[in-house]
Amino acid sequence: MARASTRSQKAPAASQSQPRASQSQRAHRGRNEESDDDGEGGAGDYEADGDAGEMAVDEGETEIKRKANDLVRLALFTEHKRTPLRREEISKKVLGPSTRAFNRVFDRAQDILQKTFGMELAELPTRAGLDADTNTVEDELNEARKATGMKKKAAATGSKTYILRSVLHPAIIEYAALTDEQILEEEAADVPSDDDNDDDDYTPQYYGSIISWSSADQLSSIGVLYTILALILVNGRVISDSELRAHLKRLGLPPNGLLPLSQSSTHKTITLEAYLATLIRQGYIDRQQVGDNKAGGKGAKRGRVPTHADDDSGATYEWRWGTRAGSEIGEKAVAKFVAEFMVGDAAGDEDDEEEGGSRRGRERREGAEEKLVRMMKGIERAAGGQLAEIK
Amino acid sequence: MVSSDDVQRLFLQAILSRGILSGKLAQTLWEKCVQAVKAAEPDISVPYSQTKDAWDAFVVKVNKSIDNLDLEFRHLHDETTGREMYALVNRKGDEIAQMATDYTPAEIAYFKAIIELIMLAPRESFSVSSFAALREVSAIKPKTNMSKTQAENVLGSFVAKGWLLRSKRGRYSLATRALLELGPYLKSTYPDEIVECTICMEIMTHGVACHTNNCKVRMHFHCFTTYRRRHKACPTCRADWPESANEKPLVPVGEAAVKDGEDAKHSGREKSAEDSDEEDEAPMDESQGTQPRTQRSQRTRKTKVNVDESMDMDDDDEEEPVKKEKKSSQPSRRSSRK
Repeated sequence: MARASTRSQKAPAASQSQPRASQSQRAHRGRNEESDDDGEGGAGDYEADGDAGEMAVDEGETEIKRKANDLVRLALFTEHKRTPLRREEISKKVLGPSTRAFNRVFDRAQDILQKTFGMELAELPTRAGLDADTNTVEDELNEARKATGMKKKAAATGSKTYILRSVLHPAIIEYAALTDEQILEEEAADVPSDDDNDDDDYTPQYYGSIISWSSADQLSSIGVLYTILALILVNGRVISDSELRAHLKRLGLPPNGLLPLSQSSTHKTITLEAYLATLIRQGYIDRQQVGDNKAGGKGAKRGRVPTHADDDSGATYEWRWGTRAGSEIGEKAVAKFVAEFMVGDAAGDEDDEEEGGSRRGRERREGAEEKLVRMMKGIERAAGGQLAEIK
Repeated sequence: MVSSDDVQRLFLQAILSRGILSGKLAQTLWEKCVQAVKAAEPDISVPYSQTKDAWDAFVVKVNKSIDNLDLEFRHLHDETTGREMYALVNRKGDEIAQMATDYTPAEIAYFKAIIELIMLAPRESFSVSSFAALREVSAIKPKTNMSKTQAENVLGSFVAKGWLLRSKRGRYSLATRALLELGPYLKSTYPDEIVECTICMEIMTHGVACHTNNCKVRMHFHCFTTYRRRHKACPTCRADWPESANEKPLVPVGEAAVKDGEDAKHSGREKSAEDSDEEDEAPMDESQGTQPRTQRSQRTRKTKVNVDESMDMDDDDEEEPVKKEKKSSQPSRRSSRK
């Protein structure tokens, strides 16, 4: 299943760690751990404070610890809603007046997150930084797309916005998304045998994976998100509002369409408009007015625009990936999702045609792999430049 | 780098992705987490055994790692099935925790109001009809424009997430997750209404009560079953008990407490159980629903005042005989508790 394989990268309250990005962080963290461990220890340690002579230092230390724990809680709870955690929020809710302690508290919280949950707070790149990145690989394309008036920007700076993602080994994350018979069995037994809910045709879905992404997320609408991300990507990383809507309509999702939500939501459905607005807020996708403020410094205004289709004022809009999509899912993963979907379908057709021998089967498998590679290359071309790993 | 500690980390991620889960599923997940880590790094040695002791030790270890975060991987027996259920519980109701929910302030207010109806339900029935629950929408403060249809969805969400139970008869009661996470809240907010199981000392909203007047013995069904195996009489008043918790003269606690009263009242009616349920619940809801809210602000454990107030309220709608019965049942319930 194509979607599953892409989706599998995503942990419940977090998302996939991507080798390149997390490796350096891990190394960095490794250093931290060592110094921490002979110091006052990490998450699970009970501190023996007060036995040292320097009370003032200890108090500061206790305070840092308490705030770090608060920050971990804040990060966990914020991720629950899939909204990025902003630094101001951390300052307001955790640090209080002593905002100067941010780095110490933040580092300590990272340490706790990593040791206890196998997660990290990852800073999202700024939009400007993203554009600059894209532009360097996209130079030729830009020639052709002069109209959009993109300009190179200075190197990326921190957005001071964070998401939580898993730093467990990719092999573990992958394993955690597999269906396991025993888990499936116990999950089935867990579903309240509500013999009574006769008026509910709804049956909760479970897939027997260690991490239950079906209960942690709204899967059907996430399918739509991945489709939108794929459409934007293969359209050259940007798609006009009218084009996107035309595509969605062809896929059976008209502008006034409704997306189903699972029973655990307080609404049965969500309109496409409302869903797009949510995605913008969560940072998965980003909408801009064409020719508005391409290179300007008004990045902060982005995403705040109402999502109504090209409005009466005659303004036209276009969609891009949001920073969260790049840091949580990554272009490679979405391209793989597309490629597997396209190739997988084709292979299925062949199967129907004839029953090949084992040699034939192997050839076909190899053929499929080759097709997959070719498909990825094609997607890369369509995207207009090298596919980015997770940022 | 894969490490044996990743078992615990992956396990916590697995728990975070679920609301509440059975002990059996939790233990299976632990085993699978071990396998996942071994799959990633075959040479790693991970302590694991299927014994109860090993599991308990693992839970202790997990809890130790999240203790500083005011989180706890807590368990409780499901009141209706007796199954052991686990959930990651937040022990601190601070500003940060308020973000942990997808619910809007109005929906949370609604949830509180439903809990109130459940906790203040007469005759220890600890349940509320869907009709009364939906009616309550109009009483949410601050005012919301939540429609009844929307309220139904919200209730469905509470049920799906394991906060509330919806019974065959369409009555809502507290589910295990609510009891697990809201135990302290319930105890401090409804000190006079709360009932504890004589055996396990946990909060009880489904179970059975000793039939002797003023005898305070209450037991969960599963606790009763265990107890009854070796004892034939009430542990306090020594009254003889029947073999099954559902047998008379034992008094049901929870939804079943409503059925009895109703059967007596509506014996002659040709309405469906559901209809009559709604009918008689509605007027009662008026007194039940408005009284606690007005009193909540100045609530200082003065049950006496409450009783007066509730009786005043009841006087307002005296026409229907049904209400009179309700009225008389209420003070008697309260007095029996003292």
